[in-house]
Amino acid sequence: MLILGVVLVAGAVVLFILQPLIKGIHASLEREDDELTETEARKRVALLALRDVEYDFLAGKLDEEDYRSMKSRLTAEALAALEADEVARAGGGVVAADDIEAEIANLRYGLRSGFSCPACAFTNGEGSRFCSACGLSLGERVAT
Amino acid sequence: MTILGEVALWISLPIALWGMVVGYWGGRSQRGDLVLSAERSIYATFGLLIVASLGVVASFLGDRFEYWYVASYSNAELELFYKITGLWAGQRGSLLFWALLLALFATIAVFTNRKKNREFMPYVAGVLQTILAFFIIVLLFADVNPFERLDFTPANGQGLNPQLQNYWMTIHPPTLYLGFTAFSIPFAFAVASLLSGRLDARWIQLTRRWILTSWLFLSVGIVFGMRWAYEELGWGGYWFWDPVENASLLPWLTATAFLHSIQIQENRGMLKVWNMSLVVMTFLLTIFATFLTRSGLIESVHSFAQEIKIALIFLGFMGTVMALCTVLIIYRLPQLRSENQIESFFSRESAFLFNNLMLIGVAFTVMWGTMFPLISEGVTGQKISVGPPFFEMVNFPLGLILLALVGIGPVIAWRRATRKNLQKNFATPVVVGLVAGILLWISGARHELSLVTFSISAFVLTVIGTEFWKGTRTRARIEGEGYPLAFYHLITRNRRRWGGYTVHVGFVTMCIGFAGAGYNSDERYNVQPGDQVEITSPFGHTYSLTYEGLSVSLGKGQRNLLWQAIATVSVSQDGVPKGVLTTEKRQYTNRDSQPMTEVGIRSIVREDLYLILSALNDINGAVNAESDAQGIDLQVLIKPLVGFIWFGCFILAIGTVIALWPSVDRKRMAAAPHTGEQQEPALAGAAD
Repeated sequence: MLILGVVLVAGAVVLFILQPLIKGIHASLEREDDELTETEARKRVALLALRDVEYDFLAGKLDEEDYRSMKSRLTAEALAALEADEVARAGGGVVAADDIEAEIANLRYGLRSGFSCPACAFTNGEGSRFCSACGLSLGERVAT
Repeated sequence: MTILGEVALWISLPIALWGMVVGYWGGRSQRGDLVLSAERSIYATFGLLIVASLGVVASFLGDRFEYWYVASYSNAELELFYKITGLWAGQRGSLLFWALLLALFATIAVFTNRKKNREFMPYVAGVLQTILAFFIIVLLFADVNPFERLDFTPANGQGLNPQLQNYWMTIHPPTLYLGFTAFSIPFAFAVASLLSGRLDARWIQLTRRWILTSWLFLSVGIVFGMRWAYEELGWGGYWFWDPVENASLLPWLTATAFLHSIQIQENRGMLKVWNMSLVVMTFLLTIFATFLTRSGLIESVHSFAQEIKIALIFLGFMGTVMALCTVLIIYRLPQLRSENQIESFFSRESAFLFNNLMLIGVAFTVMWGTMFPLISEGVTGQKISVGPPFFEMVNFPLGLILLALVGIGPVIAWRRATRKNLQKNFATPVVVGLVAGILLWISGARHELSLVTFSISAFVLTVIGTEFWKGTRTRARIEGEGYPLAFYHLITRNRRRWGGYTVHVGFVTMCIGFAGAGYNSDERYNVQPGDQVEITSPFGHTYSLTYEGLSVSLGKGQRNLLWQAIATVSVSQDGVPKGVLTTEKRQYTNRDSQPMTEVGIRSIVREDLYLILSALNDINGAVNAESDAQGIDLQVLIKPLVGFIWFGCFILAIGTVIALWPSVDRKRMAAAPHTGEQQEPALAGAAD
């Protein structure tokens, strides 16, 4: 009886494990489409760092001078990251600098006016109540 | 059930080996069927290890003394609760339990990633099955099989060491093991990242919660162990730099370093090789700790001979893992180059680096001190132990620097802190720290190391308090919220940052508790019933202790207890009665050793009054209830601030849970279409 039980359990386990091979069931090995690419991730870092400088300034942790110098530096980094991301998205093509300037300006405006999503740094249109990228309510926007 | 458990353990080995092979193979050949098979093998291994563990528990519950493990760690009289926890009472069961917990975490990791992060998963499954296969091989072939039978069936078992029959001792090992095993998941993802060539910070973001979970269990597990030592060992301390304690501290130190240095990688694209090395190091130390805590190796080289097989298998595995990981890291070196450089000594990066240096320094010291007796005995034939003074001499200064860094880190700017930044953020906290130190000095506190600790703690708490205050104020101003709501939102909207600060508050609180030990007092009195002794606390009040007498009971009907002598002491503080404390000696039937001590503790916020029944003047007389044999040696300890350690750990745990808790944003994002976990503000730590 015991032996029968053991054989049955072992058989079931082996079948469970070998089934994908026998029946040809494949697990996906692809990277998901909606996953952040490396350039997107960099862009996020740069934008979030910019957001934090704004916060530190508002919280009185940075004085005007430090704030300006850090901000100009981070803006340059964000610009580079945006550019790299655009290049990656355009499949290697060069993006017109004007577009980036526009995006940065937009972002700055968003950061100041609060339309930039505090969670994912997506810049939303003026008057947005929810983030178009992640759905966060912008009415409760964050100052962290 | 026990036989079924044994069979399940045997079946789990080929299953784990199969999963290991097809995991790597599937990753290499990009074959989805092999990968699925590898992932299923993890579920199967988990199921089989559950059966095996139930088999061990069943052998305890059924008093199956023909099994060596049951005969050595249980007897018929043992309480049901301790029979169930017998699974992790000794080395053999512990190893099985370790494998079971790892299989549980592996199952969770594979299941939650069944539809995402697929490029990592073949190798993650492969690595996890490698570790599982290793433990199963140890269990089956290193003379530590919990199902090993004796040639005869003893009438009764030897019973469980009475010191282990304690509430804390039943939860301390599993908590630590949860921490040890959970760290295998970040390790598996790190190796998967090396093998798959996906070398950005993705593996760190994916395993951040695992790292924190592991760290939480490690921290709490270590403190549980301290609590057990404090209550049960009966000498009034909680840490003695014992090899077993050290072994559990080592992975905690490197994991803490890792937890901080990954933030530099996430924010600045630096320290990639270092982080890989830390994750490998921490993993190896969890294995080392598991090995060390349950073997007699460190006590003497001579026990090495008895455990030579298991020692060689463990060392072989650790050596192989280290070698393979080193090769992999070197192979991937071009892709692991740092994207940035440290710009200034005065920057948050540099503070983080110092933090890492200090933690690794402490880890190295602890490792050296732990291994030294073994090395010295191996080389010179003479065992030279390094005692607490060695550890304290090196680790206290490093610890103080670490403590100061806890205060410096949050407010020093990334990249380059200007003088103004430093002045603006540090002036007040430094003044508060100094004033606190001076005030304590004036009030009579003279222990230098403790004073420095208190002073730095005041500095750090001021820094963190100011951070909370400024954040709340800013939020309240911008959002027009009331302060309580602003405070709540401040934390919930960036749990990682504020959770981290809360952890720091917990750590500082614990340090204050440790520093309290500078003012410990320890007196020993020989007393007869009716005698009164007076002890003055460092806080100024005086305890009057009246020894009321000894009550001895013979342990008839009580499990494993031969006799029990309870000394009753009534306590009054500055003349106000504060009740009664008892402290005991117990003699157990199944141990020939010395009687065990149960201490009496009265805790108030500021300090513990800790009574030890050190000795009975006349044991035989007392056991025979002779009225003139009531004299005892009563040891009276005052432990200032010791409660801060336990309370600090509680705050630390809460902080970790805050940092772990999925954020509101994340939940919303998960609900939104076409977004997944990757939209998590993984980099919200830009502010951390």
